[in-house]
Amino acid sequence: MKKNKKIFLMIAVCVLILTLPLYINNLYYLHIINLAGIYTLVTIGLNLLSGYTGQTSMGQAGFFAVGTYVSALMMMNFNFPFLVAIIIGTVATAACGLIISIPAMKLSGPYLVLATVGFGEITRLVLLNWTPVTKGAAGLTGIPYPEIFGLKITSEGQFFYLILIFVILGTYIAVRLAKSKIGRTFSAIREDDLAAEAMGVPVNYYKIAAFVISAMFAGLAGGLFGAFSGVASPDNFTFDDSVAFLCMSVIGGNRTILGGIVGAFVLTIISELLRVFQGTRLIIYGFILIFTVIYMPNGLVGIMDNIKKNYRKNNKINE
Amino acid sequence: MLQFILNGLPIGAIYALVALSYSFIYAASSVLNWAQGDMVMFGAYVGFTLYQVFNLGFTPALFISMAVVALVGVLIQYSILRPLRQRKAPPINVIIATLGVSIIIRNVALMIWGPDAQLLPSPVSTKPVATGILNITPQNILIVVVGLLLMIIFQYLLKQTKEGKALRAVAQDRYAAMIMGIDTERADRVAFAISAALGAAAGILIAPIFFITFNMGAGIGLKGFVAAVVGGLGSVPGSIAGGFFIGIIEAVVGGQISSGYRDAITFVLLILVLWLRPSGLFLKKKGQKV
Amino acid sequence: MYVKKRGKIFLLILLIVVVNTLTACSSSQESLEKILRIGVVGPESGGSAQLGQGQRKAVELAVNEINKNKLAGEWKLEAVFQDDEGNPTKSSSATNKLIQESKVNVIIASINSSSTLADMVVTERAGIPQITPGSTGASITEQGNKWIFRTAANDGFQADALVKYAKEDLGITKVATFTASDDYGQSGAKLLKNAIEKYGLELVANPTYNNGDKDFKPQLITIRDNGAQAIFMWGLYTEAALISNQSQQLGLDVQLFGASGMAAQKLIELGGDAAQGLILTQTFLPDADIPTVKEFVQKYKEKYNEDPIPHGAQAYDTVYIIANAVLKADSSEPEALRDAIRNTQGLELVTENPTFNEQGDDIGKRLLITKIDGNKFTLVKAVETK
Repeated sequence: MKKNKKIFLMIAVCVLILTLPLYINNLYYLHIINLAGIYTLVTIGLNLLSGYTGQTSMGQAGFFAVGTYVSALMMMNFNFPFLVAIIIGTVATAACGLIISIPAMKLSGPYLVLATVGFGEITRLVLLNWTPVTKGAAGLTGIPYPEIFGLKITSEGQFFYLILIFVILGTYIAVRLAKSKIGRTFSAIREDDLAAEAMGVPVNYYKIAAFVISAMFAGLAGGLFGAFSGVASPDNFTFDDSVAFLCMSVIGGNRTILGGIVGAFVLTIISELLRVFQGTRLIIYGFILIFTVIYMPNGLVGIMDNIKKNYRKNNKINE
Repeated sequence: MLQFILNGLPIGAIYALVALSYSFIYAASSVLNWAQGDMVMFGAYVGFTLYQVFNLGFTPALFISMAVVALVGVLIQYSILRPLRQRKAPPINVIIATLGVSIIIRNVALMIWGPDAQLLPSPVSTKPVATGILNITPQNILIVVVGLLLMIIFQYLLKQTKEGKALRAVAQDRYAAMIMGIDTERADRVAFAISAALGAAAGILIAPIFFITFNMGAGIGLKGFVAAVVGGLGSVPGSIAGGFFIGIIEAVVGGQISSGYRDAITFVLLILVLWLRPSGLFLKKKGQKV
Repeated sequence: MYVKKRGKIFLLILLIVVVNTLTACSSSQESLEKILRIGVVGPESGGSAQLGQGQRKAVELAVNEINKNKLAGEWKLEAVFQDDEGNPTKSSSATNKLIQESKVNVIIASINSSSTLADMVVTERAGIPQITPGSTGASITEQGNKWIFRTAANDGFQADALVKYAKEDLGITKVATFTASDDYGQSGAKLLKNAIEKYGLELVANPTYNNGDKDFKPQLITIRDNGAQAIFMWGLYTEAALISNQSQQLGLDVQLFGASGMAAQKLIELGGDAAQGLILTQTFLPDADIPTVKEFVQKYKEKYNEDPIPHGAQAYDTVYIIANAVLKADSSEPEALRDAIRNTQGLELVTENPTFNEQGDDIGKRLLITKIDGNKFTLVKAVETK
């Protein structure tokens, strides 16, 4: 009886998600959901890097930017189709991940944080100053709509499905990764990388892999973002944006993939909901961050787990 | 070239003060205080209000502002960082918390003082004194002199007073200090208060030549952090050296090489330094873990 | 495994329920009253907060006046404000929100060019007219976008006027540019370079700075060592004041020039005597002896106890243009409004007679060359732009 109920529930949820654009008519809500979906890809990658492997990164906006610019330039300057362009963008971002991982793998703690901040800023400054290619501060405009197998994606509803496909794909890959030996090795490195090294684990290679993988997720998200917003400029990829990604990762819960999804959605939606407060909006946002981090140290997903634990304790018979 | 170096000195002194603040808090309680730059801003604004509303002179404004901001620092430490420590929060959570504090302070300042830049007049002239082919202004000299004075007083307090020794004990080995009966919680508070006060001093020193804006803390905080890390986070001589180093590098690179890519080049240098010496230039032991 | 799946479902259901509730709550109100809703997006926090907040104050002043004096006929104006923090993504979300939820009929957005460009994607898709009173990036009116209008002063004219004056009235031959690295500054740098070439002057140095930078001495030393007689600045007042101070501290003996972006009383206050003699172009001079200007400045001062900034004057005029459009078109339909805005003529506003060309640029702006003298800007020369 219970199992049937579960299956029914899961099917209901899937149907609800798949038909979302049909009953959410408000384009603004759909726009925010789409944005959150794109950010989810970034936070999933960040969770793998910071949560699983313990390498705190405050420079994801740099990877995100490279993904956006490279894929947009591929589409605009060379007329590559969307899918090819984002693959190239992702590869370019992976290369960046590789480059930063080399100095980064020797670092930890605040030193590592600063190196990632440095990377993010260097990327932004290059985008800002390399005017002939990146059009400098004005940025890129008129990024074309994605065209996949003849179908042009132009409306929020169509973007929803496109982003949904990528999120499902990304989540699947990330979960498989997390549950695999690689994922367990990541966690081992986080807990005690010296011990792992002593056990014969090539820690450095795994760190490089973690950086490259998280960069690829961010790069893929960046490619989607470029086509979604139609414009891109260095103002979109500042230190504050890296901070926002880190907040999403921690608030959701950085030890799980689900935490990344939850964090991206919750923080993006809360940011928008807070608009009613006008001037004090950011002050409240700051308090929410502090409050969450003190009272929900494992993020929202952590709280869910706690509630479930208590529920099970109190209902031993049913379980 | 010499002119560039000369110009880098006052900025370097400010970065050194901020770097000291970062190092100090990090050494004492392993906390990265992202709100440090905003303490500088807040101190400057408080000084401005003291001057504008109460017509205080430079020196009293300096000391009162340091005291006020020190109190704010203690408040932050007590209400936010202490609970985090008690709950054994992972360092990344602490980072998010101090980021939250930074956002709050910045926007509170925006609400109180508005978005326009403010001017705090200097007690000495800002007109240049030409010495041959070089130009120095008395204000710049003041910054370097007062900055160095503060650093010297700081060192003295650390090395010679009982409080200072307690703080150094906590920085060296927290558990051992606890066992010896040192009140580590109080040490945390004192460390924060002093760091906040140093930040406020930096703010008031720099305000006459840089003007006060609500987001001036962002750049100064980040550069100060860079300086602290380059010099070796937690090391006093390292932070001071790191501060002047970054200040001079910025001036030279900005003038001789490229002004647009200046910050990018500084960061590239930073990453290179970290690659070659992962604990900074002046620290010998391996960098601490997150 | 088991536990995780349950949690996942719970969270997703929660999300869907929340979203559905929010959807149910937002009802669209069809009103038969003649209300024109204006959505305003600007950076009210973040680096350009002074401009965003100035824009807001000016718009509120204009809306109140127009409603009180019934200057839009039977139409009542309603302004809804959103902060975009100077971030283009947030700006486009804010524009989306205004269009979808507040159901605005026209959008005033934004100040930063990158934000305006992002908003344009949204307004074009939704078919709503958008006017930017603050963005000067050239690409804004080069997109082939029929819905965008710009009441910000044309930077090309300003650069040209400044350089021409430097050559013909001051006999300067060697110049340097010192511009911000943001869109405004980069665009200015390009336009200045064109003008300098056009008038045959020698560009000896062209460094840039980042907004928020505090130390400009490295670049100034380079400028000095290259023998520049004048520095053309292009940015906002805080950095301009700092540049003025620091160039005086370095003993530079140069003529300083600037453009409307830095035209604010604060420039004089912060620049002190280093800013004396600074020449800049404006479309708006608080002390000008022009009735519309005097009135505006007086009303603004009464209400807010401070001087208005040029962006404020432009935003104020923008509201009046909108009011005039809705009056002429007698409809809040987007296409009608857009066409009415494009056909604006005969209005005497604070910054001159707005006239829009095919691309949406306002070519009717008054251009003044002004100089800082004592505690105020004084008029040096008025230049025709048409």
